[in-house]
Amino acid sequence: MLLGLIRPSQGSIHLFGKDLKKEKLNILRKVGSLVEYPSNYGHLTAVQNLEAIRRILDVPKSRIDEVLDIVQLTKEAKRPVKGYSLGMKQRLGIASALLGSPELLILDEPTNGLDPAGIHEIRELIRSMPKQHGITVLVSSHLLSEVEQMAGTVGIIREGVMVFQDTIHNLQQQAAGGFQLKVSNPQEALQLIHAEGYSGELNKGALMLTKMSDQQIANVIKRLVDNHHDIYRVEENRKSLEDIFMQVIGQGGIL
Amino acid sequence: MSSMLRVLSAERLKMSRSYMVLLMFISPILAFIIGLLSEVGDTPQPWIALLGSLSMLHAMLFMPIMSGIFAAFICRYEHAGGGWKQLLVLPVTRTGVYVAKFTVIALLLAMMQLLFLAAIVILGFIKGIHDPFPWDIFARSIIGGWVACLPLAALQLAVSLMWNSFAAPLALNVMLTIPNMLVINSATYGPYYPWAQPFLATLPGESTIYGNDPFGAFNLPFESLMITVVGSFIVFFTAGWLYFRRKEV
Repeated sequence: MLLGLIRPSQGSIHLFGKDLKKEKLNILRKVGSLVEYPSNYGHLTAVQNLEAIRRILDVPKSRIDEVLDIVQLTKEAKRPVKGYSLGMKQRLGIASALLGSPELLILDEPTNGLDPAGIHEIRELIRSMPKQHGITVLVSSHLLSEVEQMAGTVGIIREGVMVFQDTIHNLQQQAAGGFQLKVSNPQEALQLIHAEGYSGELNKGALMLTKMSDQQIANVIKRLVDNHHDIYRVEENRKSLEDIFMQVIGQGGIL
Repeated sequence: MSSMLRVLSAERLKMSRSYMVLLMFISPILAFIIGLLSEVGDTPQPWIALLGSLSMLHAMLFMPIMSGIFAAFICRYEHAGGGWKQLLVLPVTRTGVYVAKFTVIALLLAMMQLLFLAAIVILGFIKGIHDPFPWDIFARSIIGGWVACLPLAALQLAVSLMWNSFAAPLALNVMLTIPNMLVINSATYGPYYPWAQPFLATLPGESTIYGNDPFGAFNLPFESLMITVVGSFIVFFTAGWLYFRRKEV
């Protein structure tokens, strides 16, 4: 919808402060995109594929070599694309998205169907975009671990409504849950902790403590040791992005 | 407009290594072979007779069918693997893309017509026809036939855009072309059947040339044929264009 492929049933879209309806061409000129799987003309070489797009974008021919260099396809550039691996096609797709020197790059499921090496390759490529070329990258993906490794800011959309948007750092802060302590005598230990003024509860014989600072946790442990409790384990209960995702989605009450 | 020309230039490049271009040689070559085997000998107007005998296959079957094949081919690359999305996220207008695609089909058909003309001229020399070449009649036939193909090309482009399949538009096209053999002999329906127009336009005023009794739709004036052509062109082209502008890809 951001690219004008589908019309919004209501509302308007503004990119770069411009209305998509009125200035679609000006906006599209500044946006590079790779929608779903990469599409290309199999009987043509990478260079010819890019040339076909270059003619439409009307950018200098030198851009072709530049983008091929960015995605490291220069060596394979003269081969027909139908012989490419999926990873190479994906890189070619990113190359064509970069051809018009966009300010915004929209990638839909960029690592879909790739092998681990390919995923790593594409991920590194995407992460280098903002740093090396100053391009904002918008990635949509259902692979949460991928998002966790790539994104700076995440948004979660549920049934067409943005239910969450924040930086990944803040999200991980939220994700950092409490601590779990396994001790020799949980009951007494819990009383001790309550006496110290911390909140906690018992869960399957383990002490669950809410989030606290390093200093606080050190203090709790010191107190437990001083009172002759044996501490078997201290674990941090870090929620994965998936848990948070499920939590955010679940709040809609649909599940 | 500039958007359309840029798409056109990209389209040309996409075709550069495909076999599609070779398809336009099929009909002229077949016409050439038929021409070699046919007798034009003693007719008073040997060039016209040659045109008449070669048009049977070329104008009645191949021109409508090739319009469909070109249209299907030109959409095939985009249908295969989400190409529409990639094309339409570029800074191009849908109208630009649509007109460019149509222009490519029109140009391919024009080239096919020129090859057909070339085949007739070469045959004429081989057969030793010494009459002066009737440029005016041939120009009307070749250009008229081409123009009469454009509505079919527009319809085929529209259905090719609509259906994510290569064969379905072709099946429709052949289905609509086959009745030609009957329709052209009908004075009632012939003038209004778009698929018959390329043939009728290629053989203009045959009855006046030969002076024989008019039969079927052959005797219709060139102008009235063109009304059917222009009318159906406007309908098909506009329908395809409106559809493509609203299409969600």
